[in-house]
Amino acid sequence: MSTLGAGSSVQDGVLGPRSDVSPHAGSDAPPAIELDGIWKFYGTTPAVRDVHLTVNAGEVVGLVGDNGSGKSTLVKIMMGYHRPTRGTVRLFGQEVALRSPAQARNLGIEAVYQDLALIGELSLWRNFFLGREIREALSRAARLNRPLMRNICRTKLEELGLVHIRSADEAAAVLSGGEKQSLAITRAVYFGARVLILDEPTAALSVRETRNVLSVISAARERGLGVIYIDHNMEHVTPVADRIALLEHGHVIATFRRGETSTEELRELVAGATLGSLRNRWDEEWNKRG
Amino acid sequence: MPDDVDMAEKAGDRDETTGTTGTPAAPERKGRGVLSTLERWGRMRAFGPLVGTVILVAIFGGMKPSLFFSAQEISGFTALGSSIGIVAIGAGFLMISGEFDLSVASVFALAQVTLGKLLNAGVTDVLAIVIVFAVAATIGLVNGLITTRFGIPSFIATLASYLALGGITLILTQGNTVLYFGSGFVKPLFGGQVNQYISAPLLWWIGLAMAMWYILEHTRYGNWSRAAGGRAGAAFAMGVPARRVKTMNFMICSSLAALSGCAQFASYGAASASNGQDYELYAIVAAVIGGTSLFGAIGSVPGIFLGGLILGLLQTGLVLVGVPGEWYTAVIGGILVVAVILNVKLSGLSLGNVRGRLLGGWQSTVPASSGQ
Repeated sequence: MSTLGAGSSVQDGVLGPRSDVSPHAGSDAPPAIELDGIWKFYGTTPAVRDVHLTVNAGEVVGLVGDNGSGKSTLVKIMMGYHRPTRGTVRLFGQEVALRSPAQARNLGIEAVYQDLALIGELSLWRNFFLGREIREALSRAARLNRPLMRNICRTKLEELGLVHIRSADEAAAVLSGGEKQSLAITRAVYFGARVLILDEPTAALSVRETRNVLSVISAARERGLGVIYIDHNMEHVTPVADRIALLEHGHVIATFRRGETSTEELRELVAGATLGSLRNRWDEEWNKRG
Repeated sequence: MPDDVDMAEKAGDRDETTGTTGTPAAPERKGRGVLSTLERWGRMRAFGPLVGTVILVAIFGGMKPSLFFSAQEISGFTALGSSIGIVAIGAGFLMISGEFDLSVASVFALAQVTLGKLLNAGVTDVLAIVIVFAVAATIGLVNGLITTRFGIPSFIATLASYLALGGITLILTQGNTVLYFGSGFVKPLFGGQVNQYISAPLLWWIGLAMAMWYILEHTRYGNWSRAAGGRAGAAFAMGVPARRVKTMNFMICSSLAALSGCAQFASYGAASASNGQDYELYAIVAAVIGGTSLFGAIGSVPGIFLGGLILGLLQTGLVLVGVPGEWYTAVIGGILVVAVILNVKLSGLSLGNVRGRLLGGWQSTVPASSGQ
């Protein structure tokens, strides 16, 4: 708890980007993704307030916050759905303007959404290659290379251990929730993701499925991806995250490293932060009246 | 048509041995059993309409063989089938991408009236055709933009354009029929007769079905259309320009409705604001009988083709076997319900329910890893 310096972190948003050192990357390597002073207003309401966040290659950063804390807005900014009102996003040190999910994907940012992972009616291989279809090299008629895509998809499924899937032509609806998440993560890694954003990937999963998804996330880290793991539940994040950033009312109020704090301490911290913000809100109310 | 699909599947298998790039994967295990064939047809949703077509041909052909297989009868049901079938291909493709178009009947009439008026006014054939299809594509563009940019359900957006365009066509014709006696190439192009069996509209119908089948199954655009119909949000998240794809499909739909209108005009030499009446509903009926889901993503062009053929067969066949013409819509209504129920039941096959039940549930073999 000592490193948290709770008072100052509530004020400053803590993460001085350049002071961050990943256990994997060298200290001079630029972070995989860096949010620098991001603000986002919906109308006059700030959903995200001056967020600084860095994720290095080969690092899993947990982003934890309650509903309405601005997690989704941050995801949407990193995926190109929304443009930040203020602030810059850097990818490996390069400033980028993210305008659409397609562009974000092309830059190597892949997201796995809680409920948007796959399209149930489409076959597995069509899902796997959606938006990244392989076409036959010498095809004048833009013909899809279906055999190749089927083969790659099935190979990846077998690597995941989904051996009961008989063929890549099965509709994606046959997969269980955990299998869908694992496939979506595998798909992201396959398409050369450098930054992987996971939005509550273990929500509504069984213990066993959660374990499988977490091992897929660890594998992604081993491959050198920068991983952002978003969840409202601290206990989902702690098993894999190297660092955890705590988001409250659109602001990063604290970050800490793996091993520095126990889950119990974190829980207290979350409760404390909530109390603190509650007090702030009372103050605001009071000021308005005054 | 369904044979095409099967042949393509086989061709795909052949490529498989050469198509891989160093991925050490065993060839796709594709079952050849009865269940798997059933499943592939069920997945394509062309199984029901195929059975329906065979049954209708057997009934009508069995009751009146000499009449049913005559040139007059065959050209009769292919003419009716192609007229609604061409519209249905566009409307069905649009349904697969998740939207409805109720304006096709008005576009059908507007296109043929416009073509007739332009030709009678002395406009050259090429220019008249270009104008007609530019108008149709623009209507589709407007339908698509209203639906995708303002988030208005396509049912309402195209209902509005159905009414508006129907009114414009009436204003243009003042209730009169536009007759055409010219000798340009519009007539042979859209309404010519190759021999006593084969007409130009039939060739357009078959050709367009093959082209749209190819686009849907074998191109990226087809994959995107299906994905946009499944979950537009998910498709967009994967980088698919879902709105643009849908808008494009509105334009294709309107253009095919216009083509069908031109084909009817060229065949009979007359255009009227009342032509194509109820096509907005029959196009959906043909698509649904052909296995297209009302909720998008599911459907196939061969199925939609057969759906149009079934409507043509019924309309001429019922009269042929002595059923009063008034029974036509009643029969269609009954078949529509049966087709939807059958398709829902058959789609269970493709989702693995049957096999799941046969194998006694899933045997998950995912290795339990430490997971930190």
